[in-house]
Amino acid sequence: MAAKFPRLIVLLFRLRFLRSADFVLGDLMEEYNSGTRSRLWLWRQAFSMLFPGTAPPPPAYPQRENKMNFFTSYGSDLRYSARTLRKNPGFTAVAVIAIALGIGVNTGIFTVLNGVALRPLPVPGASGIVSIYQTFRAVGRRNVHGAASFFSWREYRNYRDNNHVLSGLAAYSPFLSVTLAGDRPQQLFGQFASCNYFDVLNEPPALGRAFSAADCAVMREGAVVVLSDNLWRSTFGADPSILGRTMVLNRVSFTVVGVAPPGFQGTEPVPAAFWAPVTMQPQVERGVDLFAQTETSWLVFLGRMKPGISRPQVRADLAVIAGRIDRLTPGRKTTLQVETATYLSLPEARPYIAGIAVVLLAAVGMVLLIACANVANLLLSRAAGRQKEIAIRLSVGANRGRIVRQLLTESMLIALAGGALGSLVAVWSFDAMVAFLFSHLPHGTPPLSIGFGPDIRVLSYAAALTTITGIVFGLVPALQASRPNVSAALKQSGGLSGKTADGFLRHALVGTQVAVSMVLLIAAGLLLRGLYLAQTIDPGFEMKNITTVSFDLRGQGYDAARAGIFQNQLKERLAALAGVDSIAQAWTTPLSDNHRGTGFTIPGQPGSFAMEDNYVSPEYFALLGIPIVRGRNFTATETRAGAPLVIVTEATARRFWPNQDPLGKIVHMDGDSDFQVIGVAKDAQVSHLAQSTDTYLYLPAGPKEQLHMELLVHSAAGFPATAQGIRAAIHALDPNLVVDVARLEDNLEFWRGPSRIVATLAGSLGALGMLLACVGVYGVVSYAVSRRIREIGIRMTLGANARELKSLILRQAMRPVVIGGLIGIAGCAAVSQILKSMLFGLSAYDPIAFLGVPLVLLSVALVASYIPARRATKVDPMVALRHE
Amino acid sequence: MASREHLGEFEQIVLLAVLRLGENAYGVPVRQEIEKRTRRSLTVGALYRTLDRLEAKGYVVSWFSDPVPERGGRSKRYFRVQPLGIRALRQSRQELAAMWDGVELGKAMHGR
Repeated sequence: MAAKFPRLIVLLFRLRFLRSADFVLGDLMEEYNSGTRSRLWLWRQAFSMLFPGTAPPPPAYPQRENKMNFFTSYGSDLRYSARTLRKNPGFTAVAVIAIALGIGVNTGIFTVLNGVALRPLPVPGASGIVSIYQTFRAVGRRNVHGAASFFSWREYRNYRDNNHVLSGLAAYSPFLSVTLAGDRPQQLFGQFASCNYFDVLNEPPALGRAFSAADCAVMREGAVVVLSDNLWRSTFGADPSILGRTMVLNRVSFTVVGVAPPGFQGTEPVPAAFWAPVTMQPQVERGVDLFAQTETSWLVFLGRMKPGISRPQVRADLAVIAGRIDRLTPGRKTTLQVETATYLSLPEARPYIAGIAVVLLAAVGMVLLIACANVANLLLSRAAGRQKEIAIRLSVGANRGRIVRQLLTESMLIALAGGALGSLVAVWSFDAMVAFLFSHLPHGTPPLSIGFGPDIRVLSYAAALTTITGIVFGLVPALQASRPNVSAALKQSGGLSGKTADGFLRHALVGTQVAVSMVLLIAAGLLLRGLYLAQTIDPGFEMKNITTVSFDLRGQGYDAARAGIFQNQLKERLAALAGVDSIAQAWTTPLSDNHRGTGFTIPGQPGSFAMEDNYVSPEYFALLGIPIVRGRNFTATETRAGAPLVIVTEATARRFWPNQDPLGKIVHMDGDSDFQVIGVAKDAQVSHLAQSTDTYLYLPAGPKEQLHMELLVHSAAGFPATAQGIRAAIHALDPNLVVDVARLEDNLEFWRGPSRIVATLAGSLGALGMLLACVGVYGVVSYAVSRRIREIGIRMTLGANARELKSLILRQAMRPVVIGGLIGIAGCAAVSQILKSMLFGLSAYDPIAFLGVPLVLLSVALVASYIPARRATKVDPMVALRHE
Repeated sequence: MASREHLGEFEQIVLLAVLRLGENAYGVPVRQEIEKRTRRSLTVGALYRTLDRLEAKGYVVSWFSDPVPERGGRSKRYFRVQPLGIRALRQSRQELAAMWDGVELGKAMHGR
């Protein structure tokens, strides 16, 4: 017995023929239901009615107009376009490759942005996990351990116990760096987590267990730890008996109770090597009890929504709790941010990422635009070749819309092929590019845990971009080619001056390409010049032959007194090393990515100021070559006593005491006492490269600060020998310390690295854009020349010499280039302000970039125009005259 | 009015099929008859397009029967050959017979 007659066929018939072909349906039903025919047969029969090939539909059947034409003849359009493209493989290849390049770079950039900011976490049910941050207004003192949008422990308990919308709320503290004791002590990055962390994330450990409620029950107890799979394999050799073993972190003994599943590295961009219960925080981070401080932001929230609950409901429910908290502190107003958790949900990072994203997308968008202009030009040229045929079709009454549609189909095919090719290449080469990127980041950057891979979002983006691209470059040529300007087209177009409407269009496209390439290239030029400047910049202090030494005393249980002793002993030993002639202490070394700041008020001046401060020993200034230009340095006695004195920078003195003598003035540190200015140091870029900050203070490194001091060692002996000596000296004093020894110059890498990446990217995109633009210029000039072969032949027989002809052609060819170039320069000048922060002090209107780049681009365009021009004049005039 | 056009080969076959079936000449039997006798496979689309062309030339006429429940309540479209069509068929047969006259397949010389 045959299966039921497919309703789809009935529907399609109805759509196509309304009811006028019902008898055909009846025929099909009759035969099919008799059981002698297969389903395949049925569909073939149906197709013979629905898609009659290139035969016109029979006139007896009334049809709905445009929709039906579209439906039936689209198949034939597709086949015809495919055939046309196949017959012109050269043209098709160039067009597809240009589009592939444009869409490829766009897909690549979007994949990065997707992985960083749009994708949910790679845990089961990630769409149900929300991250929660807070921003507040008008609150009193708040300490920040990480980011201001984090929560305190008391707030956590409040939200956890009083909400009705989350099946679990976990909290963790992301910035935990500890020393793992052993034969070779190493530094690890881990997290403190609430004991329901693994439950909320639904990632039960692969080995052993997660935390239980008992682990978090008592403060300073629950010394258990869950390792990451990575750590287990790399440091413990995937030891199957790892459970129950002891690990010493910052001198506290932990028992290993579990190993996380492979691939799970926490929910922060920096992978976590281990997780410890949050109650262990005061033990591990000695001297800092974040539980006791009720107004400290240190915890990140991750909540799992109850089934059926939506994000607005979560926001509303938690807002009630926030309101209750606000009422306890008059004037406080909290706003919560509840979003599906991604790797970068941090509100402080959002605007920064968004800014970068916009610039990146704009840059690759411009490359795509250039590619589109290229292909549009190609299409125009080809359509022009068929002008006669199209004009004839139009003059006998063909539907213009139909012709446009057929041309558009070609464009869409090219776009689809290019888009597919570009996206595929982008996805395959992605890992290589990421590896390249990471090799250029500054040393010491931990690897990212973010995985980048194609997902539905990337594919949708690529598909949408492909479609839009196809329409963008296809529509104008299609409309242009099918213009009912029949008479002009039927005659031989062009004439002596070469002016046609589509010639103008083509020149406009070239101009656009040149303009956009110019913007990209000038931007790249500025960035590269800025980079060069950064390599050669004089930061105002000595960087050569200086080694920085840092170690974590607090993590090893030192107190201030013991730290002081350690530092003194170490200084003695280092002074005895060969080649060492100067040693200084500093809390932060110049241009490190560590910035200390505190609030200060100045008597007599309104408001409080956030100033950067650095605790240094008196040798600091001499070692770095920063002269004290007024007043004096700290004395050894004052330093040992931790006297309340301060040395300001020239810029700071100019800002707060203009036209006055800053010596003797007072600054008041919030929460501390008054400090008196005793000296003014020369400006140096110790905080940010290419910036001398006007809110920078030097304070003496007293006994209280000894725990945090890093050392600067000036030695003539060369880095490897010095480093070895330093390490040996420290190891002799305390073998359990993890030591980081590096060249001071490496701090510069932190500043140069990102800029180098951006410059490379900009340079590549700019070069790509220029290549595409030059191909475009070459193509247009070749084509224009080929259309005027006859004219050229005439001119030559009439006595024009080759040079005149060449210059005529060149002048006409370069006109759109020059116009486009000027527009591009103006455009870049308008937007170069955006790049200012990456230019290291280079002017955003740097004349070398703004003059040099256009010169290069114009010369290349000149060459691209010259080649076909020269070829034209080499043609034998007799051949040219006969040319059709 | 006498048509000056000549019948195409396929048009002849369709006309003959309609003629053969007499009263019962609607879609399904016409198609099956052609498929059976000529051993060609024929789609409904091609068939009806040809029938429409023939009707436009006046060789056949069609009408609709009442709705038939076995066909999902759809009617059948019947065809009948008109005198014009008979004349066209007769002309085709005469022309073809004239060309076949005296031709023996197998002994024919290949074109030189």
